[in-house]
Amino acid sequence: MNPSNYRPRGMTLKRSLLSRYMLIVLSAIMILPISLPVVSVVAFLQGGGKVADTEDSKLYRDGNRLESMWHMEAAKLGNRSPQQIDAALERKKTEYPKAELFWVDGSGHTRLQLPETGQLPDQWSASYTVQYMKQGVSADDFTIVAFIGGSQSEGFMVFKIPRVLMQSGAAEASKSIGPIFVIVVLIVLAIFLFISLLFFYGIRKRLVRLQAAMAIPAGNGIPAPVATNQPDEIGQLELAFNEMVGKLEASREREANEDGLRRDLIARLSHDLRTPLTAIRAHAFGLKQERLTEEGRQSLQLIDRKIEYVSQLIENLLSFTLLESGKYPYRSERIDIVRLARASIAGWYPAFEQQGYEIDINLPEAQIYWFVDPEWMERVLDNYFQNVLRHAKSGGYVALRISGEHGGRLTIADRGPGMAETSDERGAGIGLAIASLMLEEMGLFSEIVSGSEGTFIHIGTKS
Amino acid sequence: MKQVLYIEDDKEIGAWVKEDLERRGYTVDWLLAGDTAMDRVIGADIVLLDVMLPGLDGFTIGQRLKKEAPQVPILMLSARTAVDDKLQGLRFADDYLTKPFHPDELAARLDVLLRRYGQPLELEIACGHLIIKPQQQAVYDGRTGGEISLTPKQLQILFYFLDNPNRILTKEQIYEAVWGDPYMDGDKTVMVHIRYLREKIEDDPSNPLIIETIRGIGYRVKR
Repeated sequence: MNPSNYRPRGMTLKRSLLSRYMLIVLSAIMILPISLPVVSVVAFLQGGGKVADTEDSKLYRDGNRLESMWHMEAAKLGNRSPQQIDAALERKKTEYPKAELFWVDGSGHTRLQLPETGQLPDQWSASYTVQYMKQGVSADDFTIVAFIGGSQSEGFMVFKIPRVLMQSGAAEASKSIGPIFVIVVLIVLAIFLFISLLFFYGIRKRLVRLQAAMAIPAGNGIPAPVATNQPDEIGQLELAFNEMVGKLEASREREANEDGLRRDLIARLSHDLRTPLTAIRAHAFGLKQERLTEEGRQSLQLIDRKIEYVSQLIENLLSFTLLESGKYPYRSERIDIVRLARASIAGWYPAFEQQGYEIDINLPEAQIYWFVDPEWMERVLDNYFQNVLRHAKSGGYVALRISGEHGGRLTIADRGPGMAETSDERGAGIGLAIASLMLEEMGLFSEIVSGSEGTFIHIGTKS
Repeated sequence: MKQVLYIEDDKEIGAWVKEDLERRGYTVDWLLAGDTAMDRVIGADIVLLDVMLPGLDGFTIGQRLKKEAPQVPILMLSARTAVDDKLQGLRFADDYLTKPFHPDELAARLDVLLRRYGQPLELEIACGHLIIKPQQQAVYDGRTGGEISLTPKQLQILFYFLDNPNRILTKEQIYEAVWGDPYMDGDKTVMVHIRYLREKIEDDPSNPLIIETIRGIGYRVKR
């Protein structure tokens, strides 16, 4: 597929992973500024409930109002008798029950105290007055000092309330709202992290699933298609993967078809070649019945040998094609290789004998078991023996040995000119190629050592 | 005279094989196709069947023939040597020969099959100085005319050799053919029996002429 014209099918921006993650990030960013006022409102509503419960905060909250109220009261009381001042203070006390009220006359005597605290001196000295004023300003109490009648000679009166009373419900609530904000922000962050984690976990799970699907091939060596249900980027990846699997399968099938055609063609060719060969042999055989010169007879023998050779080549070509495509039937079983080798050389013995070979057989008495296909093994030995018969005649020697070491080692040796030398019948290499291909397929080790003194073929089990 | 039912679609080869076999003393019934083979198999001593036939293929015909007349041996001829052909063919065929075959080999294979299929045995077999009469299960010294008495096992071994003339037989093959049990590792039974057999039939058992030892492989009787 050309990536430049690859267009995601069925994927809208809305459903893409990118936009989904952007949505998560955006909502996290939005929820913070929204959540803060919401928390404030909630907290205020709860604080407002407190204000409604008590009138205290309304009464004492406004320091300025209290101050002007107290100074006005003090101004009104100018030139009044101490009894009148006491009555006025008692009136104020009923109005502001939580306030502490007292007055000191012009001579510095503490007069009415509401309530009686016992902390005040009877006689106010100048230094004490200054100290009291300092305390009153810095302490937790809100203190208003007003000169009665506006002049210092008539004394002063004091209005004192704890500062706590002056705080509004909202302000009270805002005191505890700080930690709530921190908690809310943390919760929002935690939720954001958790959702992100879920999001990426979901992606990871799907990717791992896809990876597993790619790694585990189905029976034919090609991974099985995966199920797709989400039309996002990973869904597209899965679709592309499935498409690739489909193409692989199709190409595998095409390849198998072509292979089948090729095998068929070779099988047919083999038949078509063998039939005329048989006819040639028939005519040559017919000629033999005629009167012939010695030369003619030799020609006929040569024709016969060449027919045999060509037919062998055809057989090898067909076998090689089958082997290469893995279509050569293979049925492995536990067989005694000594017995198989003995039966094989028994079949070849007369041929070697006829050609005047010295035949050197050294097989052990004990059985040695290999796990191979007996027909394949026979074929391998046949090919090697045939090779010796064809190409090592000058050595006049063939040996078959099996030793029990390393799970069995089979050796075929000759004293021919070696494989580097070209023999008069070329092309026999395909027989050896078939033999080594078969040994390889059967999981056996094989080694050919060839020199001018002869050839050694070693076959054994891989350790 | 042996009756051969020959099914072959190639006219050139068919004519040649028919002529050659007739010269060797067989009567040949040659069919170009297998359709009518079923009626002709009765009365035939052996079937010679080509695999690549038009219409019904050789394997199908072979299987039908084997069902129809199991006592008649079938020799397959084929131009195809694909191994699966060979395996499929041998399930009903008694032997198999690939083209281009040599006429002498064809004749030899036919002989072997006919012999194996319980055709009347030869009356007298000459082997070295021995005269063997299979129907009487008796062995005579051809020079003196005296009978050589053999134990049943010794006779069986000798007849197994005679059934497989010129072939090298391994001790495993002999043991399994004569005793009918799978050969066990290191068994000396065959060696011992052949030694006793030689003592009875060979002039010089230490230098045998009839049962030849092929060192490392087995034994052979030439005819």
